[in-house]
Amino acid sequence: MTELSRSAPQVSPKLGWLTSQTQLVLLVTLFALCLLISLAAPQFYSVDNIIAILRQSSLVLIVAVGMTMLLIAAEVDLSVGASLAFAGVVAMDVTNKTSSVTLGVMAGILFGGGVGLINGLIVTKLRINSLIATIAMMMMLQGSVYLYSREAVQNKHLQPLFTWLSTGYVGPLPLPVVVTAVLFAIGYVVLRHTTLGRYVYAVGANEKAARLSGIRPARIKMLVFIVTGLLTGLVGVILCSLMNAGQPTAGRGFELTVVAAVILGGTSLTGGRGTLLGTLLGVLILKVIDNGIIILRWDQDLQMVIPGFIIVIASYLDLLRKKSNAS
Amino acid sequence: MKKFAITLLTATAIMAITASATWAQNMPKKIGYVTNYATHEWYQNVIKGMQDRAAQLGIEFEVRDANLDVAKEVAAAEDFMSQGVDVLIVTPVNEEGVVPLVRRAKEDGIPMVLEGNPVKGMTTMVAICDYDTGYHAGVAAGQYAKDHLGGAAKVMNVGLPLLSATVLRSNGFMDGLKTIIPDATMVHDLDGGGNPDRALEVSSAALAQNADINIIYGINDSSSQGGLQAWKAAGKSQDNLLVVGTGGEGLGFINMMDNEPSYQIEAAMFPEKVGFTAIDAAVKLFNKEEVPPHIVSPTSPMVGKDSWKQFYDLADNKRTIKWDAVNALVPADKCMKTAADL
Amino acid sequence: MPQSLEARVDRVAPIPRLAAMFRRNETVLLLVLVALLVFFTIGSPTFMTTRNITNVLGQASIAMIAAVGLGMLVIAGEIDVSIGSLVGAVALPLVVIMNATGSLELGIISALVFALAIGAVNGYLSAYLGINSLIVTLGSMFVIRGGIYIYTGQKAIPDDLALESFYQIGNGRLLGMIPYPALVALAVFAVFSYMMGHRRFGRQLYAVGGDAEVARLAGYNVRQSKFIAFVLCSLFAGVSGILLSSRLGSAVHVSGLGFEFQVVAAVVLGGVSLAGGIGSLGGVALGVLILAFLSNGLGMLNLATEWQQVITGLIIIGAVGLDELRRRRG
Repeated sequence: MTELSRSAPQVSPKLGWLTSQTQLVLLVTLFALCLLISLAAPQFYSVDNIIAILRQSSLVLIVAVGMTMLLIAAEVDLSVGASLAFAGVVAMDVTNKTSSVTLGVMAGILFGGGVGLINGLIVTKLRINSLIATIAMMMMLQGSVYLYSREAVQNKHLQPLFTWLSTGYVGPLPLPVVVTAVLFAIGYVVLRHTTLGRYVYAVGANEKAARLSGIRPARIKMLVFIVTGLLTGLVGVILCSLMNAGQPTAGRGFELTVVAAVILGGTSLTGGRGTLLGTLLGVLILKVIDNGIIILRWDQDLQMVIPGFIIVIASYLDLLRKKSNAS
Repeated sequence: MKKFAITLLTATAIMAITASATWAQNMPKKIGYVTNYATHEWYQNVIKGMQDRAAQLGIEFEVRDANLDVAKEVAAAEDFMSQGVDVLIVTPVNEEGVVPLVRRAKEDGIPMVLEGNPVKGMTTMVAICDYDTGYHAGVAAGQYAKDHLGGAAKVMNVGLPLLSATVLRSNGFMDGLKTIIPDATMVHDLDGGGNPDRALEVSSAALAQNADINIIYGINDSSSQGGLQAWKAAGKSQDNLLVVGTGGEGLGFINMMDNEPSYQIEAAMFPEKVGFTAIDAAVKLFNKEEVPPHIVSPTSPMVGKDSWKQFYDLADNKRTIKWDAVNALVPADKCMKTAADL
Repeated sequence: MPQSLEARVDRVAPIPRLAAMFRRNETVLLLVLVALLVFFTIGSPTFMTTRNITNVLGQASIAMIAAVGLGMLVIAGEIDVSIGSLVGAVALPLVVIMNATGSLELGIISALVFALAIGAVNGYLSAYLGINSLIVTLGSMFVIRGGIYIYTGQKAIPDDLALESFYQIGNGRLLGMIPYPALVALAVFAVFSYMMGHRRFGRQLYAVGGDAEVARLAGYNVRQSKFIAFVLCSLFAGVSGILLSSRLGSAVHVSGLGFEFQVVAAVVLGGVSLAGGIGSLGGVALGVLILAFLSNGLGMLNLATEWQQVITGLIIIGAVGLDELRRRRG
């Protein structure tokens, strides 16, 4: 474990092989799931259903891009669910008041970024464990969203552009899916091919060593918190557009879905290790399961049970692989 | 003229009697209400109705929120009892979970009104009839489907199996619908969690699987909204669709009735009236008057675009109930079906 | 996370200095608690009454019992977020067996056995197989809660026989004054506070949580210690669940939702470091009491839930931040 995380910042051939193995297993799992579900319910492959899965996945994936970076930097943000609800409320309210979709969207995204900034400050300046800091932030956001608005903020502006944000299409693909693809690609390149990306790994793997080699871990962490916040704000806006209302109750449990997907994708909770490709596969697997359970008309409570098992098994397999590699 | 004078006299006499009857009642000094989810619009409006009525009668009124946590609910009620309220009103988070609480309130001699759900050992409950509410909306939906949807009724139920109340609404809706369209079917029975984002997600999958759905029923306004938004997100036209919501909880259904062509029916449950009735029941219990075990608060389907205006005024993003119209509704003596029939 | 050897030894070795620090941390928490009590006494005439104080102690004891277990586990360097689901789940064997046999004792035994089994599974997966405990217990949190829903069909199971003894364990009061759950909490706290402070059992958990490798070199069985901490944590959550179930008179499928957050918050507020090896049960107890009186007092002041949430969040950040600041200076 120690050896591995120390060598993580440099892309060692061994590690590259390992991660590709993780992704191979996930990829096979995903295909197997799709195959099994479609055998039982052929409608699984209908265009409508695939678009539905992709749209749902995109909301999770956008935040998961930030969350992956956070976990790699050995931090976590559990306030994303509460933050996205608040961001949606702000976005709808500002659009109602200004009749400007641009301003509304900006307000929502900046709100999320602001929450990320505060999280980052609490974690890096006060040095509070991010798990606790962001649980406290979650509580404060869930409370203060009602101080902002007692009721769901309804769409009074009736701007078609606002609805288009979630239901619009670019060619054959829904806009949220396209946006997600772009953000994912940027995240992928940054994390994999830039100095900044290597710094994120380095900070998460060994903060002290990173500091000694001239990196400023607090800055890197701040940056990643803010990025996660901005992405959360964006998802808040899209979800608000999709629901046609700013709902203070939205996003409950969203943080757990995101974290589960990232972990399933092979990102280590202790930092320094993880990939966005894995996260992508993790999100798709969870969402295909969710979708499959409904399509197969299984008991929906299984939507809770099955991911629980899968996460534990996936972590165990990951651990086994690490061990066999180390020996 | 003489006739008029007599009428006037009689009216005055009746008013005097009614008034003195009101004055004869002792008013409790303080009523405490433990709600199960104060940030939900439904309960906000229940609380609004309670506050209005308590202010009218000159009663001090306080609210505590269980925030969907049974343990917290019991603690909040304990706090009220140790603080010394004269009557306790409780909306159970779970009806089994407050059985010991009912017993302890009795031991302490504090009268207790249940709101929403019956509890073993209780004296009285104020609640709407969930089954009936769904049933009447179902009949209205059947009529609409016959007139506008070519008599077909393939229902997607955005339900909530967690609560007996919401299961009753769905069952009532289907039964009412079948009285007009006997071969109506529930194509998909979903657990939408009662919240719009979950409802949206599960509805998207169900709509993708079943192309023939033409009626979306939501057990509350968030559920119907989630269902409708999933429909719109799938790029479908609302021409041959009917959306039926339940509750009339806040502003959401008004906005949808105004702006969404398919949102034609709302099974309105008038939360303000529920609160009003609960305070009256509390006053009666305080005076040790006879009360029925179930005091029914009226509901009514609103059918058609402007139907909500009959019962509500909307100004500055706030809705105000039209008490005359709502108080004129006659509640059923007894529910057609209750949780005991499930 | 890897650290230099000096840093590791530094973290484990100077016990006297650490002990002094704990005392200071507890002093701060005690001051916060007293300040809250004074503030609420001034704010509400019904706050400082025997009735209200004993009430709050009864309410707090459910979280207190679980927090003692979780506190020890976190000190041992692990975490369990499945306790909320477990608190809900133990009520099922309890009520089902009690309804079937008419015996409260059999019900309690089966509930505790169930809790032990869950603890053993969590402990085996984390301590022996080495899977991160946050992941393991996040998994069991979902699996157990989903299992409850499937088993009960999302309905509460009532206590059909209405046994007086079952009602009494959670609702009764000694001499009509002190709630029984508070007595259980006090006993559990007293015994394990002593064990953690003065016995090998405690030293072992601190050592294992502080630095597993150093603990191993010092001759402690790391896996076994962690396993025991997991089992105890589940067992105590089981006891909490039994008392809660009595207060609810049934097995309620949604009970314990979010309980894990409350308890984790109390434990951290009490000065236990999530990195392991640092903290005390005295601090944990104060953390539980602060949160319980905060909730009660803010309610008495008739403050809406949203304010309560905001204030609780701020106090957690404030207290943990202060603790961290002091730790860095000291």
